[in-house]
Amino acid sequence: MNAVQRFIRSRVLLLTASILIVAMCLSVLVQGQSQAALNRTVDQNSRGLYDILVQAKASSSGALMQPDIATGQGGIGFDQLDAIRKLSGTSVAAPISLVSRVSQNLEAPRLDATDYLGYNAGLAGTAGDPTATDPSKWPAAQSVLSDTPKKYRLTASAVSSNGSSEQTLFKTTAEGTLGKGKLVEEQVAGGKNVRIAGPAGETGIKFPAPAGGSEHTLFNLSVALPLAPQVTESVVAVDPVAERALLGGAGDFLAPLEKAPPADARDAGAIGRHFESLFTSGITMDQLKEGPDFLGVKLKYWAPLMTQYQQAKNAGQLTADSQAIPLIVRSGTSLDLKYSVKIEEIDNAGNVTKDVGTVTRSLDKDYLPFVSKAPFDLAWPGSKDLSSLMGDTGGFGQGLYNPAIWSTDFATAPKYKDGQTAGNGAVEKSAVPGEWVTVNRLPEKGANGAAVDQTQRTPVDERSYRENLQTGKKPATPLPMVYGTFDPAKVQEAAGDVNRLPLGGYDPTPMTLTKDGSGKDTTPTALKPSLSATGLVSQSAGAITDYYGLAAARGYDKNASVIDAVRVRAKVDGTWKQAQPEVEKLANQIRDMGLEATVVAGSAREDASIFVPGYSKDDAAKESPLGTVTQSWVRQNAADAVTGSLSGTNLTLLFLTLCGAALLTGASTVSYVRKRRREAGTLRAMGWTQRRIRTWVLAEFGVGAAALAAAGIILSLVSWNPATAIVSASVLVLYCAAAFFAAQQLRHREVIDQEPQHDERLIPVDSPLTFASRQLSTNKFNTGSLAIAVGVFGAAVGGLAALLIDIPRAAGASALSGVAAASIALPSIILGISGVAVGLLLTMVTGRFELAAKRQYLGTLQAMGWNPDMLGQVRFFENAMVGTIGLPLGVLGALGVGLILAPYAALWAAVAGLVAVLCWIPIATKVVQ
Amino acid sequence: MTNELNLDREAHDRMTTSTRRAAAQKTRANTIVRPTDHATPLELSNITIHYGGGKNGAEAVNVVDDFNMTLHAGEMHCVAGRSGSGKTSILTVGAGLTLPTSGRVFWEGDSLETMGDDEIADRRRALIGYVDQGGALIDGMSALENVLLPAVPDGEVEQRRDMAKDLLDLVGLGRRMRHRPAQLSGGERQRVAIARALILGTRVLVVDEPTASLDRASANRIISILKDTTSDGIAVLVASHDHELVRQSDTLTELI
Repeated sequence: MNAVQRFIRSRVLLLTASILIVAMCLSVLVQGQSQAALNRTVDQNSRGLYDILVQAKASSSGALMQPDIATGQGGIGFDQLDAIRKLSGTSVAAPISLVSRVSQNLEAPRLDATDYLGYNAGLAGTAGDPTATDPSKWPAAQSVLSDTPKKYRLTASAVSSNGSSEQTLFKTTAEGTLGKGKLVEEQVAGGKNVRIAGPAGETGIKFPAPAGGSEHTLFNLSVALPLAPQVTESVVAVDPVAERALLGGAGDFLAPLEKAPPADARDAGAIGRHFESLFTSGITMDQLKEGPDFLGVKLKYWAPLMTQYQQAKNAGQLTADSQAIPLIVRSGTSLDLKYSVKIEEIDNAGNVTKDVGTVTRSLDKDYLPFVSKAPFDLAWPGSKDLSSLMGDTGGFGQGLYNPAIWSTDFATAPKYKDGQTAGNGAVEKSAVPGEWVTVNRLPEKGANGAAVDQTQRTPVDERSYRENLQTGKKPATPLPMVYGTFDPAKVQEAAGDVNRLPLGGYDPTPMTLTKDGSGKDTTPTALKPSLSATGLVSQSAGAITDYYGLAAARGYDKNASVIDAVRVRAKVDGTWKQAQPEVEKLANQIRDMGLEATVVAGSAREDASIFVPGYSKDDAAKESPLGTVTQSWVRQNAADAVTGSLSGTNLTLLFLTLCGAALLTGASTVSYVRKRRREAGTLRAMGWTQRRIRTWVLAEFGVGAAALAAAGIILSLVSWNPATAIVSASVLVLYCAAAFFAAQQLRHREVIDQEPQHDERLIPVDSPLTFASRQLSTNKFNTGSLAIAVGVFGAAVGGLAALLIDIPRAAGASALSGVAAASIALPSIILGISGVAVGLLLTMVTGRFELAAKRQYLGTLQAMGWNPDMLGQVRFFENAMVGTIGLPLGVLGALGVGLILAPYAALWAAVAGLVAVLCWIPIATKVVQ
Repeated sequence: MTNELNLDREAHDRMTTSTRRAAAQKTRANTIVRPTDHATPLELSNITIHYGGGKNGAEAVNVVDDFNMTLHAGEMHCVAGRSGSGKTSILTVGAGLTLPTSGRVFWEGDSLETMGDDEIADRRRALIGYVDQGGALIDGMSALENVLLPAVPDGEVEQRRDMAKDLLDLVGLGRRMRHRPAQLSGGERQRVAIARALILGTRVLVVDEPTASLDRASANRIISILKDTTSDGIAVLVASHDHELVRQSDTLTELI
């Protein structure tokens, strides 16, 4: 019988070689596939709209940034921007700066009650408008008010909510009588006059100042409600040309801003006078609807500008230096502000006789910063809007009355305070405004007390808020001049997931409350910006202007360093990998200018938990914390992070699979040695020399080694991957080592084993438990092998659990990692499952070592009259003890693997390892039976 | 005539049994364990044992065909025959360790067919001591511990420790009781196995090839021990082709 025949006959060797080849193929192919998928995904997705983020001042790590608005670190001058643009490798350099926070009063809210008095040919506006309703078709007069005035009580309130808690901003009541109005014809000098008047005895309703009273018009009775609260918006500045070049089609909304006049053509007074002349000289209704033309741009929202111009002029705020600031304003808001009015009919004693109803209105997507469209125009229950009878002339929004207050004082933000140090070393470090706070830090210690790998998430120093941006020069009052609108969601969508930083001007930062102030978990609640001035920034900038606008608002000197960041795209095409050398070269050139240049190979969201203290005050002015919010920050170099972490995961799994294969080889080799020992003895008796026996053994292993080598070479050539060659070589070395071990073990033993006599100190055998214990202690090698195999199985299950937990986390951590995780999830899971299969196979192979002997002694016990229950107990106790021995290895192995793959899931991995080992016990008991 | 018919005839011929009663019932002395009053502790009725013939297409072999035997107390019955003639099969069926293809086994008049596994185990422990070919001692346990193993289910290990030592003395291994099976010779292992089979006051000793691969002196020693047990009223069913053992047995079934 030649070596090949002997190899085939020796099922152990055949099985081992087959398993190793399969494991090799599986590992290499899965690894190759997943790596290829990962590389492809990262390459395709990791190159964002820009390659380099330039800042004047380095953050401590540069890894994470708030994406809400430019960071406010400031400091890049226009000369430096020009120098960057002049670099040969620069394609686009787009600056961005925080201009200001702008406070404005919303349009005065009012409550309208239908009080339509019917057609009157003498009313102004009813003649000459072709869109007006023909007089013959006007409806009959109608009103929700009675002919005789009734007494009403109106309770107006405004409530703001951040999504977690509500805050009543004000609540006030006014009482008075209201009735159906009438047309009064009066004799005046030179003719008659028709006016609209309330019924006899009507007192009207007047809220406390600054709200006005009630007034009848042709269509409505309007009650002026208390003034709405002030709303603060932020404004950022961009270079519209560069920004459009950066954003491509997603930046088309900035096109009107490109046409804005230069600084010397933005005189607010001149522009106001220009519009006044337009109305004086006449403008058609169509032109008004479309917006008057201003240097080639149709200014649809001209009304607010004119209103504020008039107000500023009357108040003396308008000076020769006042400029109109062109703005692209955000459409819609997530700001929650609800205005409501409760209407009750009361008697003279003040008792409620009838609840007329409550009407409410919220800020919503119709709200435009600087261009309020009567956001709190509330209607009396049952009222109708009949103003359209007069045609389009009634459709112009009044806009905001007062000029906005432009401020660069950011100290109104909440005061962060030092937090507490948790038991695991996590520090809730915070600071007062203007100081730095380190956030996003992982706990110092894990659940098992071991140090946590801090490289998973880089802590970042955040300046709580910039105190101000004053440049020493007080600017004249600017007027907002709205050129257009943008939808932040659409910009986000068009720019893609991996382009978040710092497009923050368009990119609100989602925030979720996860723990309350006492640290207890709460139902995750998305927070909105509220009017309580908490400083939680989760809203995109209210408006975008250009750098002339920035100059007008801040009043800085020429070439002041007012650029917060510059986003640079390198002049090179292709994927990230293809562009990387040129990008790095360009980044180094920028660094040589003394600027901080961060190469952004993909940037995507990642959650960071931040404790927010001092969030609210009670009636006694006692501050309470909000709790812990999960805020989406942006990870720079997300591509590298994804490549590193997911490649590491695969390599770890591959390593574990190889470890399992090594154990399997060891176990099968020992099994082989045991089976062949008698054969070797017979051959020795026949006169074979030691060398010949060794050759005899090695020849059998040589067949398997040749098969492994052939498989390794083929796989290496097919995959053309160094990892394949390394894996193949590792397996081959492993197998050869096993061969030499087997040959060594089958040597002739000169010394006869002298077993000692029975040790009376051993626990006497008097039960199935002690019998099982004795058997295991007698067969220590088998017990140990099986326990290790069980431990490996448990560790593999733990690893798989960690992987299954990690993939969704990885997918949710950032946009890029989500895409990458999705691309390699299946190969990774297959690899993890193969690891579990190897572990299970290992337990089966090692468990078979003494199966024959086990069957024999179980048969002997049966022959002695041990009943099936007792035999079952013997089997169970044996496996339970093996499981107990293997348990620490399984749990610690799973914990270790979990810490390598996903530290946050390590505990679950350990639990999975524990459960796997515990489950193995009854399964093995059943199998032995 | 087909091959199948030829095979059937061969099997039938092989099972032709010649039985002779060699000696009368012996007087009883030196009682170790007193047997019960049951005169026929073991009876095999119409036992047929077939092997093979499964789904894998293996040819069926009739090992035993319509075998009958009644074992009386104090009697040593020898089942003789060449290798493969079915001796061990008859012993394992008699000990209730395997089920016959057909036929019935009676223990003290009770059919095993009516018993569950637990009851068979309990009855076997009280009635039958089985000595496997080669002794089948448990590695890692001393001779004394091996002897005490049958007492484990009833929790009588300590109570029977002295008896175990007496039995090991009786089989001539009083000074080897702390030795493990690997440290004992083949004959010594057989004697330990016999002592183990007697520890619970067995009334039937079923012994498979006790003298195989033993030298004459060791074999004679085993035969002597077996004969001594019959003198205590214990029935012995032994499978062997040892002429001396055959000669000294009270009854003989020779399988052809």
